Amino acid sequence: MKTLEGWLVSLLFAGTAIAGVVYGSGIRMPELASRHGAGIDAMLAYLLVTVGGLFLAGYLALAYFIWRGVRRAEIGPRFATRKTEILLSGALGLGMAVIAEGGVLAIGMPVWQEYFAAATPADAITIDVTAQQFMWNVRYPGPDGRFGRTDPRLVDDSSNPLGLVPDDPAGKDDVVTLNEIAVVVNRPVRIQLRSKDVIHSFFLPNFRVKQDAVPGMTPEVVFVPTRTGEFEIACAELCGLAHYRMRGFFHVLTAEQFENWLRLQSAAAGGR
Amino acid sequence: MSTHVLGGPPRSPHNVGPAPVEHEPGFIRRYVFSTDHKIIGIQYILTGLVMAIAGAALATLIRLQLGWPEHHWLWLSRLLPVGMPSGVMTPEFYLAVVTMHGTIMVFFFVSFVLVSGFGNYLVPLQVGARDMAFPFLNMLSYWIALLSAVTMLASFLVEGGAAAAGWTAYPPLSAVAAAVPGSQMGQTIWLLSMALFIASFTMSGLNIVATVFSVRAPGLSMMRLPLTVWSYFIASILGLLAFPPLTAAAVMLLLDRHFGTSFFLPSGLIIANKVLPNTGGSPLLWQHLFWFLGHPEVYVLILPALGIACDILPAFTRKPVFGYRISVWCLVAVGCLSMIVWGHHMFVSGMSPFSGEYFSLVTLTITVPMTIFGVNMLASLWGAKLQLTTAMLFSLGVIALFGSGGLGGLFLGNATADMQLHDTYFVVGHFHMMIGGVTLLATFGAIYFWFPKMFGRMMNETLGKLHFWFTFAPFFLIFFMQHFLGLQGAPRRYYAFTAFDYLQKTRGQNLVISIAAMVLISGQFLFLVNFVWSLFRGHRAAANPWHATTLEWTVASPPPHGNFDAVPVVQRWAYEYGVQTIDGDFAVQTVPSVSA
Amino acid sequence: MNALADDITLREDQMRLGLWMFLATVTMLFAAFTSAYIVRRSGSDWRHVALPPILWLNTLVLGASSVTLEIASRAGLERRWRAAGGGFAAALVLGFGFLAGQIGAWRQMVAEGVYLPSSPHSSFFYMMTGAHALHVVAALAVLLWSAAATWSAGRDVRAWDAQVGLCRTFWHYLGGVWVFLFALVSLY
Repeated sequence: MKTLEGWLVSLLFAGTAIAGVVYGSGIRMPELASRHGAGIDAMLAYLLVTVGGLFLAGYLALAYFIWRGVRRAEIGPRFATRKTEILLSGALGLGMAVIAEGGVLAIGMPVWQEYFAAATPADAITIDVTAQQFMWNVRYPGPDGRFGRTDPRLVDDSSNPLGLVPDDPAGKDDVVTLNEIAVVVNRPVRIQLRSKDVIHSFFLPNFRVKQDAVPGMTPEVVFVPTRTGEFEIACAELCGLAHYRMRGFFHVLTAEQFENWLRLQSAAAGGR
Repeated sequence: MSTHVLGGPPRSPHNVGPAPVEHEPGFIRRYVFSTDHKIIGIQYILTGLVMAIAGAALATLIRLQLGWPEHHWLWLSRLLPVGMPSGVMTPEFYLAVVTMHGTIMVFFFVSFVLVSGFGNYLVPLQVGARDMAFPFLNMLSYWIALLSAVTMLASFLVEGGAAAAGWTAYPPLSAVAAAVPGSQMGQTIWLLSMALFIASFTMSGLNIVATVFSVRAPGLSMMRLPLTVWSYFIASILGLLAFPPLTAAAVMLLLDRHFGTSFFLPSGLIIANKVLPNTGGSPLLWQHLFWFLGHPEVYVLILPALGIACDILPAFTRKPVFGYRISVWCLVAVGCLSMIVWGHHMFVSGMSPFSGEYFSLVTLTITVPMTIFGVNMLASLWGAKLQLTTAMLFSLGVIALFGSGGLGGLFLGNATADMQLHDTYFVVGHFHMMIGGVTLLATFGAIYFWFPKMFGRMMNETLGKLHFWFTFAPFFLIFFMQHFLGLQGAPRRYYAFTAFDYLQKTRGQNLVISIAAMVLISGQFLFLVNFVWSLFRGHRAAANPWHATTLEWTVASPPPHGNFDAVPVVQRWAYEYGVQTIDGDFAVQTVPSVSA
Repeated sequence: MNALADDITLREDQMRLGLWMFLATVTMLFAAFTSAYIVRRSGSDWRHVALPPILWLNTLVLGASSVTLEIASRAGLERRWRAAGGGFAAALVLGFGFLAGQIGAWRQMVAEGVYLPSSPHSSFFYMMTGAHALHVVAALAVLLWSAAATWSAGRDVRAWDAQVGLCRTFWHYLGGVWVFLFALVSLY
């Protein structure tokens, strides 16, 4: 009975780990569509492999010790030697440090630093995204390349959601859309994030882009889309009742398609 | 009965002779307003278990919504007419449920049962003391804790419902009443309840630290202490130092909410079509203050779980824990490191990328002591003669979940990986495995192990083992899968995943998770039945049914008031298993050691 | 056998330890307020409000109360109980005087139109001085307890001294916190 129980418990842990690895191996992340995203995916792949291996090894060891332990009539040596204790702890601690910190230092930090520290390329499309409950207001600077000033007191959710100052010449050619962003493939994108009310988070799962939109701040994300297609924008910071359906559309187009799109948006908005 | 008002006659382990005899106190003084740490510990445990039922009910609601998003649960609409009209949960109710599930489980279940409950019960016994250093303060801490729990539950009943900005309560969502219904009075009551909780926890923590420092029995040096006591000692110090910034933040949030200040509210906020008059506040300030507590808090919860597992394991391997000294140092190291890594919750918050680098590198150093500790637990099984009692099964589960949950930490502490995983179900899976799994299984292990000591009766082993099987497998399935939901991009706190194309393929996985959750929650009835039944009909327990070595097993089950007839004199370490004495293959700590 | 003396020593040690740990948590609380202040200070909308001069008087009063407390403590050790009792009475009066003065300061600010939300500086001022005042209330209770022990007859000097030691530590600590807070809101 005891050995049967031992078998069952052993198999529980061993089986759990194997099932876990099998399940995990079949899971795919959203299709990658950005340049720096490859670095993030590399980081994740490294971790999945190393952690997956440690996880499997650990659970199999646990299963083995259990299976073995129920069979023993007497305990083994009460203590390992001090040397063994230190060596084992030291080796494993060091090993883990190497895996964890090594991964960060070798793969993670270069990706992180490149992403944040790199100067914004000159040919980047700059887009102003103002999040609010529960939509993404998108604004392009237009041919003058400058965004018009905004004032919260001028905000009217139906007619002027961004609170654009009407006499500001820089704002006359701004193109405003709702929940729609289009960019050009292989051309850098710079998104300036704002929020009108609470903290939201601009999440592009396929592009490995996530940045909180914090009221009172204007954080930026810069990235390069590498595939054309239609993608979704999700909100990744609890922002209220409709947080779960604060959905936007991110179109990656060819240069020509983009110009058409921009012209259409501009025309649809009409004059101001 | 101890009448330990400040300045009264001291209770001291230096008293020799029998415990002083006083006339029998009435039922109220003995079992309700008691200053006896054992009664207070049991009060905390029972209160925490009731709150766990509330927390589990909330979890059931969450999984019903996520597993079957469009289903009409008509019988629930009768129970919850406001939250689930015609049987479909409203988003406002869902957010309140999510917020309160987290709050209740973290503070009112795990902290009550594991930290305050077992801490109060075990620490004086295991250090050979008659009671805590400050018994009256101890009693006060429980009643304030109870008040905080009742206050928190009452928040469901106010207009707008319970707080709904997540257990993390980020402003402006939590600061402006119009931002979400729960931010009306619900959020204020949440803050008041938390203030009471922190006051109670501070009293409890002071007691544990003072007791370990000053009331240890003669011969009980720090390095002879059970790892349980070490873990409570360090967790208490951690809690004492980490909670005040949350108090400060809560005061500031209350002022922002009701008195027009702008600690966290910047200029130009437009909510419900009104421009708010606030200027210059920083939402990030809240996050820094909250997480300054929030991160050490999870170690406050998990350290006792690990310590308890290290006490249970050797009783059923019949040999000492592996690497005791090193494990002690690991606990100390984790305690210290945990106070300087809070920013890993804020990698994409708008915090400077340089800070992100710092927090990432330092966070990952925690993997070292935690790995060593975990391996020490695993290595304690090597060469062991295993007895698979229920308590042991749960402790093995602790090792397993600590491993898998902890490994997930490598992803989240890595700033680059976290860019994709932040605020996704990867985080939900990770923290549930750690503070839902490790602590839950350790709590169950502790109950099965110390129930005989507390109540003088044995729990039913068959039901217990069934409980383990109904708990570990579904638990692992749910939270392991959630890591992968996160990798697939599923964000947290979503009422449903139906609005996004890229999330459609998670529908099946969410269904599986919800079914497993129903199995998990149903399995807990086995525990409840066992617990209640055994209180009245369990076999009578001997003083030391597990043949364990620590001091609580040298007294009757349950121990008398005052714990020890004569103050124990400690001659040995806490894990003298595998030595031959008249008791068997072990020596309790008071057995004189053979001169070396 | 000096078991009783040992017992008392242990009790004193425990109380002292408990107090110091409590003061550690209070320190963390004010440290949190301070770091929030420093962060907020760098904001563009920071506007320093004029603080009423009565605060200087309050500071002196609090300092004087610490001095009288020390005098009382020293007198008691030398068994000059009348002086000790008098010192405690003075410390209590000055302590309550400090609180009255703080309330006076707040009322003066309100009269000038400076309220809690008027500027970040005023918000922090009210909040931090309010938190400090609450702790002073608690310390006054402890002071009263020690005063009562001083005024009653039949004291064991050693035990009394230990109890008063706790009171002094708490009281002087809050005095120190006040000096720090006052300097912070005045100078930075």
